[in-house]
Amino acid sequence: MPSVETSYFGLISYEPDSILEFPKGLPGFDERRRFVALQFEDSRPLVFLQSLEEPGLCFITLPVLAVDPHYQLRVSDEDRELVGLPLGRPLRIGEDVICLAVVSIREDGPTANLLGPLVVNLRNRKAAQAVAPESGYSHQHRLVPEEAPVCS
Amino acid sequence: MLMMARREGETILIGDDIEVVIAHIGRSRVKVGIKAPRELTVMAREVKMVRDENLAASVRSEAALSSLLTRFGPAAQASPVRVEKGR
Repeated sequence: MPSVETSYFGLISYEPDSILEFPKGLPGFDERRRFVALQFEDSRPLVFLQSLEEPGLCFITLPVLAVDPHYQLRVSDEDRELVGLPLGRPLRIGEDVICLAVVSIREDGPTANLLGPLVVNLRNRKAAQAVAPESGYSHQHRLVPEEAPVCS
Repeated sequence: MLMMARREGETILIGDDIEVVIAHIGRSRVKVGIKAPRELTVMAREVKMVRDENLAASVRSEAALSSLLTRFGPAAQASPVRVEKGR
């Protein structure tokens, strides 16, 4: 099993067929093409997207349905062609694709990017950040904490 | 903002080096061709928003990661790693 040294998780090993391949990278990271998705028991449902090419590059993501159970996924024909997804029909999250929202930490709390979700074709593990301007979703969707802060 | 009415196939010039062609007008969207010097970045506004968000979100320091994990609850142990398996 191949392994890779990472800055935050140490040495991790992964199965070759679990590599996510972004043929065009992500906006701002055009040259970063290969990632693995990591999950840890005690930080679920967070998914860490670790670059295989840059040990210190990692994105923290959440399944879009964990952010918004009614999320309506829209993927342009261009993005579908890029990752080999069928045209002309809605894509089913969990069956056709995995769909992850990138999480940012801001001064006033974490937000998730629902405007440009990461869409992974489950059949070939090719992925793209599918920017959907017509979706009306925010790139800084507020994550409401599940529990109110504890005052002491 | 300068507004100009153009038909399909017509062009707008910006300075000496930038050319904007209205390539196709559909029912609800237009296809625009842009010729600009290589050093100029041309992208849809939403893609820039997503790019800026990616740059802000990318964890490139231990501090950023641990600050996130503490905000989300108990700090995750980087112990046994489970790589998402394909279906």
